[in-house]
Amino acid sequence: MARRDERAARIGSRAVQAGFLLAVLILWYLATNRWGVNRLLLPNPISVWHQLLDVLRTGEYLPDLRVTLTELAAAFVLATTSGTIVGYFVSRSRYAIRVFDPLFAGIYSIPIILFLPLYVLFFGLGPASKIALGTTISFFPIVLSTIAGFGNVDRIFVTAARSMGASDYRLFRYVLVPAALPVILTGLRMGFTVALLSIIGSETIASLAGLGHHIVELAEGMDMARMFAYIAFVVVIAALLNGIVSFLEARGRRRG
Amino acid sequence: MNSPVRHFLPRHPGVVRLGAVIVILIAWEIAARWFIDPLFISPPSRVFASLGTVWQTNGVPAALRLTFFELAVAFAIAVVIGLVVGLAVGLQPFARRSMMPIILLLYGLPQITILPIFILYFGIGAASKIAFGVTHGMFPIVVTVVAGVQNLKPILLTSARSMGASRWHILRWVIFPHMIPSFFAGMRLGMTGVLLGVLLAELYVSTAGIGHFTTLFTENFDPTKLFGLIAMLAAMAIALNEIVRRAETRFGRWR
Amino acid sequence: MTAGDIAVRIKGVSHQFGEAGEAQHVRALLDTSLDIARGELLCLIGPSGCGKSTLLNVIGGLLAPTSGAVEVAGKPVRGPMPHEIAFVFQENALFPWNTVVENVRLGMLFQGVPKAAHETRARRALEAVGLADFAHHYPAQLSGGMRQRAALARALSLETDILLMDEPFGALDEQTRMILGEDLSVLLARTEKTIVFVTHSLGEAVFLADRVAVFSARPGTIKKIIRVDEPHPRKPDFATSEKFAALRNELYALLHDEIRKAVAEAARARVAGADGGAA
Repeated sequence: MARRDERAARIGSRAVQAGFLLAVLILWYLATNRWGVNRLLLPNPISVWHQLLDVLRTGEYLPDLRVTLTELAAAFVLATTSGTIVGYFVSRSRYAIRVFDPLFAGIYSIPIILFLPLYVLFFGLGPASKIALGTTISFFPIVLSTIAGFGNVDRIFVTAARSMGASDYRLFRYVLVPAALPVILTGLRMGFTVALLSIIGSETIASLAGLGHHIVELAEGMDMARMFAYIAFVVVIAALLNGIVSFLEARGRRRG
Repeated sequence: MNSPVRHFLPRHPGVVRLGAVIVILIAWEIAARWFIDPLFISPPSRVFASLGTVWQTNGVPAALRLTFFELAVAFAIAVVIGLVVGLAVGLQPFARRSMMPIILLLYGLPQITILPIFILYFGIGAASKIAFGVTHGMFPIVVTVVAGVQNLKPILLTSARSMGASRWHILRWVIFPHMIPSFFAGMRLGMTGVLLGVLLAELYVSTAGIGHFTTLFTENFDPTKLFGLIAMLAAMAIALNEIVRRAETRFGRWR
Repeated sequence: MTAGDIAVRIKGVSHQFGEAGEAQHVRALLDTSLDIARGELLCLIGPSGCGKSTLLNVIGGLLAPTSGAVEVAGKPVRGPMPHEIAFVFQENALFPWNTVVENVRLGMLFQGVPKAAHETRARRALEAVGLADFAHHYPAQLSGGMRQRAALARALSLETDILLMDEPFGALDEQTRMILGEDLSVLLARTEKTIVFVTHSLGEAVFLADRVAVFSARPGTIKKIIRVDEPHPRKPDFATSEKFAALRNELYALLHDEIRKAVAEAARARVAGADGGAA
């Protein structure tokens, strides 16, 4: 009896989810086609779909995508390098951890997006300001997780390895890194997600190029259908990138 | 180094932390004074000195008040929506199974992409900032409230039932007190979300809020005033976060 | 026993979990019948999985049996009966966000005791279990034994005729169990409650009970009922008497084979589960 109820509940909830999505689409369609909602507020879903196909076909997203991905890659590489190195050296001393961990956590707790105008002032509207902001924001989850990862390696492992005559390098490579890796990988994933969000965000607010900027351009041009299509495109790209990173994180954690 | 200092420092990492911050400030001071064009960076001494002028700039205090108002209203709305939706979904197992995936899906969307839509719908005034703050702040609250209702030990429900508790009794005396810690933790995350949402919207477009002045100071290449304004905003953010954190410590824990 | 003397009447109760053929199918209880006299302390003892806790939940109205029925004070049991039956569970069922006295008062609120009576009843119950000084402590600040005393106080404050206790001392160490067992005997001698007490411990059963119902391995049914003829309250030296040892040995003889059977069955089930893959 329990089994049957279980299956019924699962089917039922899937039905509700599908129904919800369907209802949203139907309401959207009716709102624009039957109920006369202003096309300037809510575009026709069918035209959105056509615009999306057009965007994909013409490849007009390519230059913006390239800009965003470059900024993302640069920011993430910089944040990862600095974050892991700083995090490792801080983790070497209990005292250093007590000094710096709260400092990093404290800075991370304020909305770092506030610094965007400063970076724009200094670097201009080009990619450099986005990379700077992305690096800054992404640095913190990475450094905090690196400190946590290396800092929480069970002393017993270190003792055991040393007693077997492990050198500093061997200790690092074969004991510390595998032990710390799961936590660090999670931090890297979080850093990536946050970098992506802040780069798209800063492109939206102050930029001359990039995916975020293009959405704003379409908004200012009141090209609603195309803007909706572009937003959908960017959301899918973001989901894809985050999905890949999550997958890599899970793979890496399983191996370790 | 004399003995007392050597014994003092290890027990007061906070002092060393402060020292590190001071070192950074000094480096900033030196770099800004002698190495970098004053058009781009201003030394901290000058920033502190001109905090007063920032405050006296026409419209800045009003803008700060407006931003604070946007944050407060957005937070209040996010808390109410988060609590109501969280309870509605968390208390009903079927609702939870069907709605949670949808909620989590929406929570995971990069909301920044629809910021232009919010502005188009709610205008360039405070309403859009508040709305954007609400959508950022309500999701963590929903999720934590649902979790708080979920992880109630079944034995507590059984025990209450065996003593004759009505559904209202269970809601008021068992479920509600149980989920309060989660609720306060959710509010802490919600405040972070609200801060992010409101500030993003402000920086995007603002006629009377602080976003207006950040744009103004940036375009006028006035790093002194810009740093000063941002410092004030950061202080506001820290204060708000601290208030929610303190509330959590005081009310959100069962002693 | 005359009809008026019977507090609980269990008639042909069987219970199974899940449907036949499913992986989670368990026949917990098989055709169990028993009359429990008013004012007696009956122990249910048996190997793991023999259905004694299931039977307790059925008596208390927390579980509807797949067949059979239970009558309490002449009325059929169809759900929790907070005015007639109070529970003490093995797992700590105190609300961690309330103090001890708040927990006790909450029980009375649920049952419907008028507010005016809360204070006196709570104080009396806490004094009875020896926790009067800890009324304003939180469960997390108490030891395991004290928490169970608090749970007992909460049950006592409801002033029901029947008390059902499901391995209340199961999570405690031997020494605490001994103390609590002695205190319980003294306490219950004063009241006239009917108590059904599930335990794993042979010594506890003999020490506390008027009658001990010995269950067979799953599917459980009552194998034999042993009478313990010793006046209440039981003195500590009862535990070292020959009568005690004889009774305990009798229980051991009855249970030993059943326990072996239950352990073998559990091992078989685990192997079958591992072979057959996830259900």
